[in-house]
Amino acid sequence: MTTEYMNEEHATVETGDDVVLEVTDLSVTFPSDDGPLPAVREVSYVLRRGEALGIVGESGSGKSVTSMAIMGLLPRNAQVEGSTRVLGQEIIGLNDKEISKVRGKKIAMIFQDPLTSLNPVYTIGYQIAEAVLAHKKVSKQAAMKRALELLEVVGIPSPEQRLRQYPHELSGGMRQRVVIAIAMANEPDVIIADEPTTALDVTVQAQVLDALQRARRETGAALVLITHDLGVVAGQVDRVGVMYAGRIVEMGPVEEVFYRPRMPYALGLLGSLPRLDGDASDRLTPILGSPPSLRDLPPGCGFAPRCPMARDRCHEEEPRLLLTTGDTGGESSAADDTIVHRSACHFSEELAGVEATDLFQAGEEREKAPKDAPETLVEPEVLLSATDLVKHFPIRSKGILRRKVGEVQAVSGISLDLREKETLALVGESGCGKSTTARLLLNLIKLTSGEVTYMGQPLQGLTDRRMRPLRKDLQLVFQDPFASLDPRMTVSDIIGEPMRIHGDGHRDARKRVKELLELVGLNPEHGSRYPHEFSGGQRQRIGVARALSLNPRVLVLDEPVSALDVSIQAGVINLLEDLQDELGLSYLFVSHDLSVVKHIADRVAVMYLGKMMETATTEQLFKAPAHPYTQALISAIPLPDPIKERTRERIIVTGDIPSPANPPSGCRFRTRCSKFANELSDAERTKCVEEPPELLDRGSGHRDACHYSQVVELI
Amino acid sequence: MLVYTMRRVLGALPVLVLASILTFVMIDVSGDPLADIRMQQPPPTEEVIQQAEARLYLDRSMPERYWLWMTGIGGNGDIGLLQGEFGPSTQGPHYEIGPAIAERLWTTLRLVGAAMVFALGLAIITGVISALRQYSKLDYTLTFVGFLALAMPTFWLAGIMQAAGVKFNQLVDEQVFATIGDGRFRAQGEPLGDQFLNAFAHMALPTLVLMLISFASWSRYQRTSMLEVMNSDYVRLARAKGLRNHVVIRRHALRTALIPLTTVVAISVASVIDGAILTEVVFQWRGLGDFFITAVDNNDSYALMGWLLLSGVIVIVANLVADLLYAVLDPRIRYE
Repeated sequence: MTTEYMNEEHATVETGDDVVLEVTDLSVTFPSDDGPLPAVREVSYVLRRGEALGIVGESGSGKSVTSMAIMGLLPRNAQVEGSTRVLGQEIIGLNDKEISKVRGKKIAMIFQDPLTSLNPVYTIGYQIAEAVLAHKKVSKQAAMKRALELLEVVGIPSPEQRLRQYPHELSGGMRQRVVIAIAMANEPDVIIADEPTTALDVTVQAQVLDALQRARRETGAALVLITHDLGVVAGQVDRVGVMYAGRIVEMGPVEEVFYRPRMPYALGLLGSLPRLDGDASDRLTPILGSPPSLRDLPPGCGFAPRCPMARDRCHEEEPRLLLTTGDTGGESSAADDTIVHRSACHFSEELAGVEATDLFQAGEEREKAPKDAPETLVEPEVLLSATDLVKHFPIRSKGILRRKVGEVQAVSGISLDLREKETLALVGESGCGKSTTARLLLNLIKLTSGEVTYMGQPLQGLTDRRMRPLRKDLQLVFQDPFASLDPRMTVSDIIGEPMRIHGDGHRDARKRVKELLELVGLNPEHGSRYPHEFSGGQRQRIGVARALSLNPRVLVLDEPVSALDVSIQAGVINLLEDLQDELGLSYLFVSHDLSVVKHIADRVAVMYLGKMMETATTEQLFKAPAHPYTQALISAIPLPDPIKERTRERIIVTGDIPSPANPPSGCRFRTRCSKFANELSDAERTKCVEEPPELLDRGSGHRDACHYSQVVELI
Repeated sequence: MLVYTMRRVLGALPVLVLASILTFVMIDVSGDPLADIRMQQPPPTEEVIQQAEARLYLDRSMPERYWLWMTGIGGNGDIGLLQGEFGPSTQGPHYEIGPAIAERLWTTLRLVGAAMVFALGLAIITGVISALRQYSKLDYTLTFVGFLALAMPTFWLAGIMQAAGVKFNQLVDEQVFATIGDGRFRAQGEPLGDQFLNAFAHMALPTLVLMLISFASWSRYQRTSMLEVMNSDYVRLARAKGLRNHVVIRRHALRTALIPLTTVVAISVASVIDGAILTEVVFQWRGLGDFFITAVDNNDSYALMGWLLLSGVIVIVANLVADLLYAVLDPRIRYE
């Protein structure tokens, strides 16, 4: 015990300042059957006491592996090289006994998926107390008392009761807060949070980020925040590092990197993001191609194959992470490491003042057609129309009799119209019934009550056989590009299958498949390949091609880009927009991501717990949201702009979404509504509790379902 | 928890009744208990046959007989499961099925119990080791042994073991393993140490045979289950808390990895009973296996019914126990 204390003391003296984590040339290689897989290459950074560092990157960039290597949590076969010092103590290569004294005490970690992070067979209290007992010699009662305190800090309501509950009794957001409580149990010096909010809804994300900030205030811990969400980074950290193909390619203070990126990838990443605070008519600038396979890295810069300004030197020589010119003080000493801006690009100085659009759109000059031009002539025809859609799923008892003991009110009275050549977005958090609504519209599941018509023809009650000719016009694109394509069919077969089902000419099918592949931006010669040979973005394009094979008029897109990385996502969104212009399609765009919706949709319908909260044109909705829920959703979405993000006004939603099996009376949103909680008088509240608000037109087609709706400007 | 238990127990009752009906009907339609008497030369008189039919209640209709078999109401006092009587036997008026089953049950339970306990213990240990040292030489060796045991038919494995036991005895020139009989009567009245040695000598080989059958699949199962848990997020979080490796494995990994095994073990009780019949025949134990075969030979309907129903009850009870155990081990099940 004494020697360890001495070591720490010695180390602090040696580094001379308050560096809590120092990573130097960290490399991780996994052996595989096809040769070594360098997942992380020469990552270095320092973290000072109380500082917050963001690591951003797309999937496979090595950001999670880096943090696992720091914690010593990689599988046995991983080869870790380099050095990681926590408070001056080297922790790479420590044995189990030694490293378990560091983990949880000096450096703690929060994982991505709160649903699987807690052991299902122990109580919440036990699991927090266990973390305390791992490092402190205190009684079990004392540890439990500490657990209770921790639950209070992270903002869990009625903590005494929660201590005795099991993880499955808590919602995802609650569980993530429990994990945060575990991380701060021993007041660590560093907390590594690996995508802590990715699996959560935006309103819950805001709550969890808040809990994380409180945990840091309480413990004074420095934070390494790993995420793919540039908005979260902009709001939460002081410095940011961008990772690509296992390396850090740019690092610097968050304002520097966001406003003056000096590496084409970072620039492209920012440019490919659909922005809530941007102009919807701007075309997104995707980064072409996809990240390189780690097994087969290019000899030069990892980004060169996708980089529009790549030259010979880029393909030959790997750029080092160097100071960008224009920074004050060119000398690179460890001391000013936290304020300098570094980037790994041979030509970084050429990027000064360059916008993503200049760099990545040079090849394709393409103006997005002004959308409002034809609208003035005539009101477009309504293609798909729904009136008072209701879908209840029965809850059955577990016994043999399977009595009906209740019902999940997934959709309760949704009406909407999808017009020709229009994009209608259906947005809401998970469990709000948006996907169910989409399926009801396609007559894929049976309505409980209500009416759906396609061009005046009612769909409900149609037999499969009578429905089939209509299916040609109504096609669906799924969320998961990996699960929605049969791995044993070639791409040609997948795209041609709808035509086969509908008995369309065998002769032309091959030609048509090639046309479709070309249309969605894939090489028409690749039809004989299998889905696993394509990347996520390419697979989603195949899914779109399949949906288009029958020349539909309506495409229902169920979260079509949410499984894709941002740089890829932009390309698919652009494709969808182009296809709409070329083919005159109508889209029903189901999504939880308001930034994407703002970019692509003409009209937006906001759902909450099976009810429509607000519907308006995209412009109206984002400029002047009237319903408190819409306002909360918009303000919960982090803007990828550090200054705006830190200074904007917020409307915070508390708690979790209630169970749709037992929705609140009156207005369904009232239990989480900040207006209800803070602004209304008791008499006004009674109305919210007793009377369900109707969806009323507040002028020019902007409708909301709130008794006390009031327009607020948020962006 | 009480409600859950009650519900499970009540749920088991109809299954039990259904099992009894199935057992009865299947045995009743398959073969004539009096076939032997009818085939006798010279042919017995009609009177003798009628007497035998009356004794075995064959003069009544099938539903009547089922009712009689269950309740014993209207019988001669030698039938009625609810009264503890298993019915008359074709093996003579003095052969009582109930006591015969009870006596053999103990012999067989000893074998089945010992085999299951050892198989389970060994399966957990090797499964965990295999999982922790995945793709190591040790893992491959254990996998090989497991598949070897899985691939061998019981009677063949038993035969090999018996031959090996004899060979071993010859080699060391001493009776270490007894390869015939259960040896229950041999050691009565001897000192405790000798009794133990005797029990070991007789039980070692059959237990080993029976054990290997279930061990193989359980060990595979435990390995998979353990691997899955070891890669789970909560095991990673437990490490990240700063718990020592052995604590993580014991408290977080093993504890959760054992849950699915309870179901597997409960379901395989039936196959262990199958295995016990074959093993007992090879080693010439006078257990339930031997009882079953004698009953089949003699067309002894009521004995067969009793035997089948008993195995049914064992399987149902094992499943019930697994269900309840599952609820104790996994809080997610409890209140649903």
